[in-house]
Formats: sequence, C-alpha cells, structure tokens
Amino acid sequence: MEQLYLLATLADTRVAVAAHEVEAVVKLADISPVPGMLRHVAGLSALRSRVLTIIDVPALIHGAPTPADRRGLAIIADISGHSYGLMVDAVHDICEVPEGDLPLRGQLDRAWAPHARAIVEQDGHPHLLVSLASFIETGLLAQAA
Amino acid sequence: MVPSRASVKAKGMDELLQEFIAETQETLEALAGEVVAWEADPGDRDRLDAIFRFFHTVKGSCGFLNLPRFERLSHAAEDVLSEIRAGNRTADPATVSAVLGIMDRIAELAEAVAIGAALPDENDDYLIGALAEREQGAATEELAPTVEPIRQGGAQAVPRTIRLPLSLIDQLMNGVSDMVLARNELSRKLRERTSDPELESVFERLSTCVADMRDSISKTRMQRVERLFTAIPRMVRDLGRELGKRIDLVLEGGDVEMDREMVEMVVDPLTHIVRNSIDHGIETPEQRRALGKPEAGTLKVQARQSGNQIVIEVSDDGQGIDTARLVEKSIASGKLTREAAAKMSESEKLELIFQAGLSTAQQVTAISGRGVGMDVVRANVERIGGVIALHNQIGRGLRIALRVPLTLTIIPGLIIRSGGLHFAIPRAAVVEILHDNNETLHIAEVGGAKIATIRTVRHSMIDLEDVLGMEKVVQPGPRAIMVVRSATGVPFALGVAAVDNHEELVIRPASPLIMATGVYAGMTLPDNGKPMLLLDAAGLANAARLPNIVDERSIDQLEDSGDGEARVEMVSALRFEELSGERRLIKLSLVERVEDVDATLFGRSGGNAFVRLDGRLVPVANGAHSFATGHVSALRLRDGSQEACYPVAAVLDIVEMPAVPDMVAMQGALSGVAVVDGEHLEVLNPFALFASLPGGPIVERRRGRCVLADSEDGWTREILAPLLRQAGHDVLLGLPQDEAVDPADVVLSSGGDISQAAEILGCRIVQLRASPRPTGPEDGSIYRYDQDALMAAISGTRR
Repeated sequence: MEQLYLLATLADTRVAVAAHEVEAVVKLADISPVPGMLRHVAGLSALRSRVLTIIDVPALIHGAPTPADRRGLAIIADISGHSYGLMVDAVHDICEVPEGDLPLRGQLDRAWAPHARAIVEQDGHPHLLVSLASFIETGLLAQAA
Repeated sequence: MVPSRASVKAKGMDELLQEFIAETQETLEALAGEVVAWEADPGDRDRLDAIFRFFHTVKGSCGFLNLPRFERLSHAAEDVLSEIRAGNRTADPATVSAVLGIMDRIAELAEAVAIGAALPDENDDYLIGALAEREQGAATEELAPTVEPIRQGGAQAVPRTIRLPLSLIDQLMNGVSDMVLARNELSRKLRERTSDPELESVFERLSTCVADMRDSISKTRMQRVERLFTAIPRMVRDLGRELGKRIDLVLEGGDVEMDREMVEMVVDPLTHIVRNSIDHGIETPEQRRALGKPEAGTLKVQARQSGNQIVIEVSDDGQGIDTARLVEKSIASGKLTREAAAKMSESEKLELIFQAGLSTAQQVTAISGRGVGMDVVRANVERIGGVIALHNQIGRGLRIALRVPLTLTIIPGLIIRSGGLHFAIPRAAVVEILHDNNETLHIAEVGGAKIATIRTVRHSMIDLEDVLGMEKVVQPGPRAIMVVRSATGVPFALGVAAVDNHEELVIRPASPLIMATGVYAGMTLPDNGKPMLLLDAAGLANAARLPNIVDERSIDQLEDSGDGEARVEMVSALRFEELSGERRLIKLSLVERVEDVDATLFGRSGGNAFVRLDGRLVPVANGAHSFATGHVSALRLRDGSQEACYPVAAVLDIVEMPAVPDMVAMQGALSGVAVVDGEHLEVLNPFALFASLPGGPIVERRRGRCVLADSEDGWTREILAPLLRQAGHDVLLGLPQDEAVDPADVVLSSGGDISQAAEILGCRIVQLRASPRPTGPEDGSIYRYDQDALMAAISGTRR
C-alpha cells in the first residue's frame, strides 16, 4: 500500500507521520508558558490568529523538557477541534513509501510503546510510525493520573 | 392531524420552528443513551428528571409554535413521568417502552417537519393509550386542533437580509483577527524605519479600514432582541384564552441588540418565565375584581442594555410568590426542616423557588406548575454567565430580571500580572482590588495559611504564583490583592503582582490538555499576538483547596452594627437613567437638587449646550440640548463654586455605593464601575464632568495661568498640558522669560531645582513626582497621575 509520510526526527528517534495528520510544519516563535501544567506542555504560541498548544514531545518521551534555545520546529495538527504544535528536532522529507506500514519488530522502548503503531522503512532506515493524537491523549492520561 | 405549515409562517416563526426542530433532535440524540440507562435502572432519579425536562421543554415550545401533535404526545408522557416522579407510579417496563415509543414518534415528527414532508399520519392515540393503560380513558380524547389564522407580516418594508452559516461569520472574524495582527506587525516594522509621512498616512488609512471592518464583523453576530419577543404575544393570547385571564402585554426595548447565540440561549428561560407569570402570577378577572385590581392583568417584558449586560425584565401585577406556601411545600417534601425554615430570611425563602421539584401551583395544569421551570431556568441562565433576580411583592406582583452578558465570547476582563506572565480574569468575578499596603487590609499567616482581613471581613488568601507553581518575582511597588468571587463559591483574596488593565476580551476555548488543569477557563489572543490564559476563579479556589466558609460572624456584625467600620467606605449615590438608557451612579453630595426643567430653556451656542436657569446660563454637562418631551428631569450639580445641569431620562433612587468604585478607571467621564444590588453601574467621574464644562463667558472667575516649568519634558507637553487645558486652565509652557509672573499663576514642576526660583517670583508651585509613593514624610509633591490631588493643588494654591 503506497502512502505519503512525513519523516522527522523526534526525541532523537526517526519517526514517520502519516501526511494526512499533518497540517503544516512551522518554525516556533514565542511560546507563552502555561504555569501549573505538566512539563510536556511547553505553552501557547500564536500562529496568525490561531492559538496552538505546544507539546514538548521530547519531554514526554525522555521526561526532560527541551531547553528554550533548542526549540526549533513544530508539526501543526488539528486534533479533535483544537490546534496543537508538536515539537520535533528536525524534519527530513515528505515521501511516498511504496511498501507502506510494516509490523513492529524488536523490543520497543517503553516510552514509545503508546505512540508507535508500525514501522515505515525508507532508504534502508526504519522509522517508527507514530500517531500525533496519541501524544495528546497520553498527555491527558498522565495529567489525570 | 397535521398542523398547517401556513399557520406558523408568520415572520420569525419559521425560524423559531427550525430552531425548535434542531434543538429537539439534538436533545433526543443526547437522551438516547440516558433512556437506555433509565430502562436498566428505573430508580435513577437524575435520568428520570432529564427525560422529564425534555418532554416539558417540547411541550412548552410547541404550544406556541402550534404543533398540537407534539404537544399532545409530550403532555401525555410528561403526565406519566410526573406521576413516577411523585412516586404514584413505578417505572415498569411497559411504561418505559411506552415513553420510548413517544420519544421515537417525536423524533419522526421532527424529522418530517425538518425536511418539510407531510407528517406521517399515524395514530398517536395508540401510543398515548399505551401510556395511559393504567388510568383508562385519560388523555385519549382527541380534539381537532384549531388552526390559527395567518398573522400578517405588517405593511412596513422589511430590510433585505440573507441567511449565513455561523461558521462563515466565525471564519470572517478569524480573518479579521489575522489582519489586525498583521497590521500590528507592520506597524512595529514601520516604526523601526525612518519615518516617511506618506507611507504613514497610507498605513493610517489601512488601520482605520481594518478597525472598521472588525467592528462591522462583530456586529454581524448581533441580533435585535425583538426576535425573542416575536413569539410572546401569541403565547400570551393563547394562554390567556385557555385560562380565562385577561392580560395586557407590554413589550419594550426590542431594538436592543445582543449576540445571536445568546438570544438562542435566552429563548427557553424567557418562555418559562412568561408562562409562569400568566399561569400563576396573574389572577382571573373575578379574583382581580375582588381584590380591587383592574380586571386585565399587566405583563411587561422589557429589555435594555446595562453596560456589558442585557437585562430582560418580566414583571406582572399578579399575586406574586407566596413564600409561606413555598416553605410549607419545602417542609412537606422533606427538603427543609422546620427549624431551618424559622431562621430563614424572606429572600432566602424566596430562593426556595429555585429548588428542583418545588412549585407553588395549587394544581398541575397543562401550562406549568410541575415544579420544573425555575430550577431549569436558573441553571440555563447561569450556564451562560447570567444572573436571575426576583423582586417579589406578595399580592402585588413579581418582577424577574434576567441579566445576561452581551455575548458569549467577548467578556470584560482584567489583565493581571503574576510571576512575570500576564493572565486575564473576568471582571464580573472581581469584587474589589486593593494594594497590599492599604490600611483597611491586614494579612496574617498561620501554619502556611494566609488570611486577609479586609475591613472586618476575613478571607482565605492565596497568591496566584503559589497556586500555579510560579516563582514570585521581587518587585518594588505594592502587590495587588483582589477579592474574587466565582458564581458558586465564597469570595477569597487573590494576590497578584499587579492589575494592569481592563479590556474587552475575545475568549476562545483552550485545548483539553489545558482545561484539564481546572484553573483556566479559556484563552484569548490580544493584539500583541501573545496568547493569554483566562483564569477560572472557582477553579483557583479548588486548586488551592480553600475552605468554602463565609466569614459569617463578621458579616453578621456588619449587618447588626449598621454603622460599623465598613460603612465608612460607603457613600450615598443617586441612581439614575441616562438619556441614552444606561443606568449610572453619581455621588449624591454633588447633586444640589433634582428638578423638572422646561425643554425650551435648553439651547446651544458655540458647540456647548446651555440651559437658562434662574436668569443665568448654566452649562449642560452631558451636552444634551434637544429633547423629545416638554419637560426634562435634570440634576443640578455643584462642585462648590461651579454649577452644572445634567439632564437625565429618570431619577431612580438613592443607594449606597462604595466610595472607591469596584473597578477604577483612571481617565474619562466615568470613574469606574460599582456593583449595587448585583447590578454593575457606571459611576460618573465628577472631576471629568466639571473639567469638561465649557470655560468661556459664563465662567467669571479669574483664572491664573498654569506655568509648566519643564517645557522640554515629553510628559509635561503631551499629557499634562492637554489635561490642564481641558480643565479650563491657561497653560504656559516654560517659565516666562520677559514677562512678569503673576502672583495668581501656578508653577508646575517635575524637577526639584525650580522651587526656590518660583518662590522668589512670588507665586506658588506644585511639585510633581513620577513615583506613586512619596519619598518621605516631608515630601510635599504630588504623584503626577493623581488627577484629583493635582487639580486640588492647582486650585487650592490659587486661592
């Protein structure tokens, strides 16, 4: 099954995101912090007249918030009616992968388990196929706990 | 029997019908799950109530939309459910399925009306019969519904309109917000460059266009309250006939505008209230005659704008609410003990009307009186940020005031600073703002808990930084303490670094991640493009786990003592209605008297309005000079030497208001907003009022000049000088070089070196300082933004 993926590096890991989940990739401007939140919610940022909730994905995976000077790009996504920006380290390519999703193999890091759904292979490198919504949902669960 | 669509085709009705259908379908969808759960557990009271309310609402709405089939079905179901609620009948499976059958039929009918198809002509009697199995014969008799004549649309030309989906308007709104942000960025960029007047004027034009556009687009969301009123006359007539009552209906203020979403939210509560008034309030002609009242009762529905709120008042001259009977009913239903009842005040007793399942109706009628109504009404009104107030006069009538915000999305808010960040808080939640060096405030700390005693009332106190886990930034000035009250909770004191500003805020929902913290109510994007969070007062109190206890003892003391310390802070004020309709306050001490003035005595000259009183020309403070009526109520104001006349629409009453308004505005014709009896009233600023009076021929007093020593200083030139000129002073920039300084002149100086020189010149000086606090006890200078002190100093030194 041929599919379009956005390939990116997220928390030092190669990931693939189904292109239909991605609205845009932007360079992060000012982030207004939201006090009283868990560490992985970096704050709010305005994209034109939209307000994005910025998720510090590396913090969600590694538990350590990304320092302000290393905040670069964010994937913009609309998840259940709200706009989010998910911080990524780098974005490499948008490409079609002819063979599509492959089943997960090997022992997956526990931190990645809730997010990874499959493997996408490109140029001989495996990428974790992640769902953007899962980062928001696990965030909500963590908060509820 | 199919109701003819023609009967509901009168203007407005079609729209209402569509809304009714959409709403019914929505509720049915939401209830589907509830009903299944109720079937599994018929003892579940909450679910039963929800289903019951659905039928009640359907019945209420379709009664005046002339949908008799809906009405019959829902009435029958409501009867049965009501019996179950009362415990006279159990929810056996047969009943549940009969209720379900009726819900299905209502859904089918709604569907049919929505697509404009003929209503499926099946026999409803069968369904109703299934319900009534146990009480044979009831509700099976069918009467042919009377088809009402078509209401004529009226002869006047209707303005041309089109219908637009709300989403399109929201899209436009967002587009304009984008434009505003882009303009702001452009303006920043332009300022960095060398100025080019041509470019700037073009940019100015663009700015004006954008601002105008924003205004008009926000207006597209507004709708005349008239739409709320369209259904009322018909409802009143029909109900009046049915109940054999004669009612004169007065509708006022239909041209007031409010957000269309808000209009939709208010339809239901208003309908309930009007029905209640007719059913329980107004007596039958015979009863009224016996009581010495005119046979026809009067029902008045008025809408008006009051600040940022719309007030809708429904008043009748009927029998009012019998609080004694309310209490009896409440005791009988086990919701109240006799001891507790004995301690209740009249207003607390009146509050009982809002309890679920309580009604004063002697008997259940088709119109109302099953005890749903007031609790639902209040819940609906509060959900949209509104307040409901009752003014009850037993035997003489009831007045119900609904106060709702103008829009759902734009609220007046305060911008506060805390931990280096900015937050917004709804203005309605803030009762009072003090600085922590205020003498009436005492903050004590025990075992980590902070207690703020303001005057004699103790409040729990929290610092916003502590609740949100932020660092407290050390600051030179005093911190601000706000007394915050949420809709439900007890007021508490909230410490923040500063209260910066008040603004109209466009509130949008925040993402669930952020809402989950419970301390935020939404977010807003101000023009600077930095997102800001709206604090939720009740959420903050919860997050800080504040005890929910009112300081009753000291409140009691306050009430008892009457002339307690807190009273010192109150001043008498006159509540009046402006010619433009707003209600405002003015300090009573300024009002010399109130009199009716012949409208012909008002005149206008040289751009200023005057009135001829006692052979003199007196300036008119609000500039009004032509009136619709022959006589005008006018306030005669006096500030000691100057006098002014202030025409008003009506003088209402004298009330106590806080000496310092709850919300303080530094500039302009209003000095702030005070809350009196739960009503937000703007307070006239006497300073600005007298300052704005024309100088000119009627001011005979000789005025000295104000000599501004620091003519090079930008603040002096741009802010101080215009202020003084506006107040009617002659202003001289810089010390006069070649002419003598008149002893009547006043020298204003921000620097220290001028004082000796001025004293040599023989005139008085007013020393200004930039910091709000004096440097020491000898510091005789005046804070430069303290208008009152400044003006007092200028006039005081002259005398």
